[in-house]
Amino acid sequence: MPPKPAAPGAPARNLFHPLPIPPSADDMCPVCKTIRYLNRDMEFLINPECYHTMCLNCVNRLFTDGPNQCPYAGCSRTLRRKGFRSAFFGDLAVEREVDVRRRVAAVFNRVEDDFETARDWDNYLQMVEDLTFDLVHGTGEKRGEAEKVLVRWEGEHKGEIERNRRAGREREEQARRRMGLEKDAARERRVAALREVEEERRERAASKEAELDGIAAAPDGRGGVQLKRRGQVVRAVEAAAAATAEVGRLSIRGLKEKGKPRGAEGPYDPFGGVDFAPSRYRLGEGLAHPQVDKYRFDQGHVTGGYSFEEWTARAMYEAFAGLGVFVEDEKEAGIGLSSREIATIASGIAAVGDKMELD
Amino acid sequence: MATEDARYRQSSQFRLWSFSPSQLGAMREKANLLARASISERLLSAPRSNSASAPTSNANTPDADGTSTLPEFLTPSEEALLVTFYTSELLRAGDHAEMADEIKATAAAFFRRFYITNSIMTYPPQEMLIVALFFGCKAEGSFPRITDFVKNFGRESPEEVLAGEFLLCQGIRFAFDVKHPFRALRGAVMDLRRIGDIEHTRIDSAERRAREILRFSPLITDAYFHYTPSQIMLAALSLADRGLAERLIQETFHFVHPQPNSGAGTPMATDTPSASSLPDSDIATIIGPVIRDKVLGTVEACRDMLSKEPPERREHWSSKVTYKAQLQPIRKKLNKCRDPDRWNLVELQRSRREQVLNKSGGGSDDGGSAAGPAGPSKDDDVFGGDIKRRKVAKGAMDDPFGGAL
Repeated sequence: MPPKPAAPGAPARNLFHPLPIPPSADDMCPVCKTIRYLNRDMEFLINPECYHTMCLNCVNRLFTDGPNQCPYAGCSRTLRRKGFRSAFFGDLAVEREVDVRRRVAAVFNRVEDDFETARDWDNYLQMVEDLTFDLVHGTGEKRGEAEKVLVRWEGEHKGEIERNRRAGREREEQARRRMGLEKDAARERRVAALREVEEERRERAASKEAELDGIAAAPDGRGGVQLKRRGQVVRAVEAAAAATAEVGRLSIRGLKEKGKPRGAEGPYDPFGGVDFAPSRYRLGEGLAHPQVDKYRFDQGHVTGGYSFEEWTARAMYEAFAGLGVFVEDEKEAGIGLSSREIATIASGIAAVGDKMELD
Repeated sequence: MATEDARYRQSSQFRLWSFSPSQLGAMREKANLLARASISERLLSAPRSNSASAPTSNANTPDADGTSTLPEFLTPSEEALLVTFYTSELLRAGDHAEMADEIKATAAAFFRRFYITNSIMTYPPQEMLIVALFFGCKAEGSFPRITDFVKNFGRESPEEVLAGEFLLCQGIRFAFDVKHPFRALRGAVMDLRRIGDIEHTRIDSAERRAREILRFSPLITDAYFHYTPSQIMLAALSLADRGLAERLIQETFHFVHPQPNSGAGTPMATDTPSASSLPDSDIATIIGPVIRDKVLGTVEACRDMLSKEPPERREHWSSKVTYKAQLQPIRKKLNKCRDPDRWNLVELQRSRREQVLNKSGGGSDDGGSAAGPAGPSKDDDVFGGDIKRRKVAKGAMDDPFGGAL
């Protein structure tokens, strides 16, 4: 039996939750080269300062007497006993990224409701993501810069961050409370349903009792049969009522609470305000074209549902669309100016090139 | 503002591809200048190797004495003449393949649009016109097999057409919908027939002639850039039968300001149901006499432009005499001054692909197409490239946790 290392102290135990990574027999501590074969209970810890792995024994050996340098060659970070923990992810790059993201999220903890438009919110998210990316993957200079930005932001917006955090916690609390209430209500409903079933059973038993009494009291068997039938009817009606009551009590969970209705925006217009009513021409009877009329009786066109009205409307639209669009004026002076204004502007502009679309 | 005009202003044809004559001229000049600059740079940077390998060498006999001297470049007007010539070639090729009018017209519009921001010295027009026809087919909803298509035009492999396809799309700024005046002509004929007092034979013959004009004249001129389809249609109709076109315009813009006393004498209240609820001043801007005169003037200008290239000029463009006298000298000049790197589209596509594959630091793509915002290098900027992915790959390589023990 190998000499057992000192059992880890109680406070340390609290710090380290069990490794989710399945241990394999040839795990080796890179610092003391102990392998799992020799120490069945070997645990690997990391310190988020530099993410170098070492076993629990090494940590205890090196850092019980206070802060010390990381034993990895070339790593000059000073580590403390307190900072060590076991990694959650097997891939330490992922572990580090998660840590960074947690840290950034704690600082940039705004929610969507804080923003006026969805675009602002997206821009904010983009900004945060860029910062995070620099922190995680950036090379030395970029990372340092991002780090500085983060620290400065944290310092400048301390109050806000704290408020947001508190608001977030409150929201969570509320959600939890609501869930609790829902759960309670569901339990109550279940209890009530049980009680009802119980009552029904008792009633049915009582009515049976009464029936039996009736049969016993009746002079011949006929009344008894009748009674029995009535009881069945009663029971069927009861069952139906219970069923409807059960349906009425169903509740759908997870529905979003309705926000305030959209007032000012009005109904959604799929055409973005484009008006389709003709203003220069008139549709309706009397529009026909000899080249097209012959298709009106063509099986191939009619059967497929070809709409001649649609075609007529389109042809008429194309005949008159853009008749009042004067490309030369509008491209040089802009839409919506009268001809006089255009004339004055045109005389004012000597060179035309600056208004060009393509440059 | 008339609803039809508002709808037309939403189209890409108006937003991206309508210009005033001076703007168009400036753009062509700019494309020409940029092409000159980039081609002379390329010719100077690698004079020896390109004259040995590129297909230009056979035409470059005068270069033998001194490769450092630059060839004479085409002027913008010569370029425009060549583009017009190749547009007529394109229409001829479309006739040869028995394509629909819309397809030919779309292809011609694509072709002319492409050579506004790209110089004809940069990309080969004989190739691009086939590409434009192929893509025009697709844009108009007919989908030929590429193998049959290339066989039809005597090409050997589909790659020759496909190589230029994306290039063309970039050049036309991905505006695939071209508005044509053909269906508009049908609408105008229907409206004329409804008036009632015009003989139908007159309308029919005018329509035939106008359609013939529409199939050639606006496509080979700059009409599509300066006028809207309905104006082009009216101009063609006016060339066929001036009386009919003017009648149609008069009928459309019939609004007169009502006299304060007469009240009931307004003729339009029943004619335009949607406009009847508007105040008079608004109606006047839609169908009033002022705008009528302006439309008449515009149609007249468009008519002048179309009358320079009537359908009878097809023979002019395809005749050997014209070719020898006007075009051959320019083509000879073109053979000397074309872009050595971009003339062969298949090679160009392959080299671009290779460049993408072994792109190391990014930004190795040179100036892109000779002119215009649609060059491939700009495209990379627009879509942000894959900088982030590249960053990740780099980050994975140098260990973030320091070296190994």
